[in-house]
Amino acid sequence: MNALDIRGLSKTFSGHVVLHGVDLTVRRGEVHALVGQNGSGKSTLIKVLAGYHAPDAGATAQVLGRELTLGSAAAADRLNIRFVHQDLGLANDLTLTENIMLGRRYPRRAGIAIDWPKARRIAHECISRTGPAIDVNRTVAEFGIAERTRIAIARALPDNDDPALIVLDEPTAALPAQDVEKLFDTIRGLTAAGNAVLLVSHHLDEILGVSDTVTVLRDGARVATVPTAEVDKHSLTELIIGRALSRDVERAPRAVDDSRPIATIEGLSGTSLLDIDIDLRPGEIVGIAGLTGSGREEVAALVTGRTHRDGGTVRIGSRSVPSGDPRAALAAGMAWIVGERARYAVFPAMDLRSNITIGDVGRHQRGGRLRHHDERAEARDWIHELGIVASGTDADIATLSGGNQQKALVARALRLKPAVLVLDDPTAGIDIGARQQVHGIIAGRADESMAVLITSTDSEELARLCDRVLVLARGRVVAELARGVDLDAATIDHTQVSGVPA
Amino acid sequence: MRTNAPAPEAPSTRNLKSASASQRQPLSITIGRYSALILWVGFTVLFGILRPDTFLTSVTWRLTISEGVVTAVVALAFLIPLVAGVYDLSVGATMGTGLVLMNWVGINHPGVPLWLAALGVLLACAFVGLCSSIIIVRFRVDSLIATLGVSQVLLAFQLFMSENRQMTGAFDDGWLDLGTRQVMGVPIVALYLLVLALLLWFVLEHTPVGRHLRAVGSNPEAARLAGLGVERLITGSLMCSAMVGGLAGIIFSMKVGTYSSSIGPGLLFPALAAVFFGASQFARRPNVWGTLIAYFALAFGVKGLQLTFGPGTFWIQPLFQGATLLIAVAMASRVVGQTRRSRRLQKDAEQGTATPTGS
Ligand SMILES: Nc1ncnc2c1ncn2[C@@H]1O[C@H](COP(=O)(O)OP(=O)(O)OP(=O)(O)O)[C@@H](O)[C@H]1O
Ligand SMILES: [Mg+2]
Repeated sequence: MNALDIRGLSKTFSGHVVLHGVDLTVRRGEVHALVGQNGSGKSTLIKVLAGYHAPDAGATAQVLGRELTLGSAAAADRLNIRFVHQDLGLANDLTLTENIMLGRRYPRRAGIAIDWPKARRIAHECISRTGPAIDVNRTVAEFGIAERTRIAIARALPDNDDPALIVLDEPTAALPAQDVEKLFDTIRGLTAAGNAVLLVSHHLDEILGVSDTVTVLRDGARVATVPTAEVDKHSLTELIIGRALSRDVERAPRAVDDSRPIATIEGLSGTSLLDIDIDLRPGEIVGIAGLTGSGREEVAALVTGRTHRDGGTVRIGSRSVPSGDPRAALAAGMAWIVGERARYAVFPAMDLRSNITIGDVGRHQRGGRLRHHDERAEARDWIHELGIVASGTDADIATLSGGNQQKALVARALRLKPAVLVLDDPTAGIDIGARQQVHGIIAGRADESMAVLITSTDSEELARLCDRVLVLARGRVVAELARGVDLDAATIDHTQVSGVPA
Repeated sequence: MRTNAPAPEAPSTRNLKSASASQRQPLSITIGRYSALILWVGFTVLFGILRPDTFLTSVTWRLTISEGVVTAVVALAFLIPLVAGVYDLSVGATMGTGLVLMNWVGINHPGVPLWLAALGVLLACAFVGLCSSIIIVRFRVDSLIATLGVSQVLLAFQLFMSENRQMTGAFDDGWLDLGTRQVMGVPIVALYLLVLALLLWFVLEHTPVGRHLRAVGSNPEAARLAGLGVERLITGSLMCSAMVGGLAGIIFSMKVGTYSSSIGPGLLFPALAAVFFGASQFARRPNVWGTLIAYFALAFGVKGLQLTFGPGTFWIQPLFQGATLLIAVAMASRVVGQTRRSRRLQKDAEQGTATPTGS
């Protein structure tokens, strides 16, 4: 008896086949990874399982030998299939206990008043099933991203002791390496207790590290299901994209450059960021690394004006960029891709082309009238250049897969031809082949003398792209690594953990 | 010298495949998107059969259309800020304010030309919109609450100006002619509505401003980060909305002339119903033509019912408008289709596989 058996699952959206007779078997107690390029149908498969979409006729599914009605949320819930969505869906202002109890019935005293001690005990039990105990009275906002992911998993766990299937769709897209390790401990703990885990991720190293079996989707069809032990990064990549990945070409070290910086950031301070200086020269790619809590996660927001600075100045050329004013930052020649796509960047219920052109639609206006034809032509160029998979320029952005939405944001920023580009986890959710392509485009633009500031949780990405990487710890720069000298992923990882230069 | 990563082959085949995928949609959704139009045709046929002698006459059509113009203008006033996600519940009160001001000038200062008074009304209404937007943008009061408050203040102003009495006799025949004349058999007020609708449609669908308003309505935080002047857009939309509301009052002064305090607030529900019903039409977001068609579909339905069941049926209008709004919007909403489908699937599965398989 398997934890999940899906046979012949197809899904068609308006005549567009997204899943094509997919079979999927998740055995009990295993971590099963689901991988594939952007738009290959991973999230759609999960949404069918969750009952959000109804499948095409002919699909069958069983959970531990019992029949599961695909397309019904209640049926999935009854059979202990639980989902943790990428944005976690926690109420940040409520306590851990309250969050755990959100999906449950509160214990009552005399049928009326909430029995808080008992509620806290339940929360404690749930969180203990995912790892070391943490204080259940603190509000969720006080926890780091790793703990929050655990809380979301704990909340999803069923109350009964029957084995469950926990489904995680890209839980690590924005998690730093250390936190990923913690999450994987949680996952291993869950499977050791007899549960099964279905995991979607674009990070192949993580897949290879934690999963027992891998299923690869390509263009909506299952191309392979193999034991993880039998693949390596190279062969898995080939399975995913259907060909070998062209080799990364290393950026050469920059010649000594004493041109004047195009952007100077001085004394930048925020909640956890204390006081950092960054200079950017034209054509230079500078990375910011650091664990969660080091201040890294604040840099992009403070520089672009998404949040107000507690101190410091940002200048581009001779223009000073005021705090908390994205409009002024854009006018000064800055553009960006901000993190937390759904919250800060995507315009739901608007089409792909509007989402691309929003920063400057005026370009397609003549005599006060928007030339939709010109706008579509530009959007088509971007769709082609970045390989965005969509049913057309006028497809609702919400119907694009996560990675393809991210590519639309890349287009939105690049079309502004900024002097300074600020990137916050620019390839979050983008598949391995497309990531290389986006990196190539960014490097190419830098060669045309655009300055780039990247903050990323992905050390490999920083090591591959950057000329210099500033490593943050406790709100300050603790090391500066330079290409051709001491810049590589291992050093970044080591430095951000130890907090001292290697 | 640095080298770039080579640009990998663009996955053009994948794009082609998806681009060629047809844009077909389930029939139920397509019907839902045109339900207002279908309803309008349906009413015409139904009441045309039931009351061919009265419903199908040009008099009835002219009357229904010209009676509806003012409410339809109020609906358009509500539509403008709604595109940016802002509710302006004061549109009815703004209409009343415009009307009371026109009457007040007409009665107390007969020397002032009425076109000048109308201009003054528009400016005053723009100021009202500015005040609402300051409350919403500066003091961060939710738009529902802010405009609800503003509408009460406006009502107080109207009662003060009118001394809580009906106001009549303010306008000369020349002015009233502007609201009652027909041009080639079409009531002239319908042409006013058409011009306004064309203008708004153009701005909302074919200019950057319209696009920006929609972006603010879709995700205000992302709009701010995309460099849009969110506060300015909201302010502008509320000022326009108030001016269009005032315009409704001016048109009413041409058509009927009389002010009474119940007129403005009474228009709010039918106007809102038209906008929300209309938002389920065509592109399935708040839009000009959907609003107008939804409004007139309902108006003709009400007219047909009144003609069929006689004058004692004054209660039919709210009942009919409320019920149609609920049904139409629920039909068009995706959620209904989704739950129906999954319920059906579930039933099929339960019938097909009553016993669990495996051991
Ligand atoms: N509601 C929808 N309507 C139409 N097409 C859709 C809809 N949802 C998804 N699609 C299409 O289905 C395809 C698969 O999308 P899905 O989100 O499953 O991809 P994914 O494998 O999760 O990709 P990613 O790694 O980028 O998240 C995409 O081409 C997408 O455009
Ligand atoms: Mg996805």
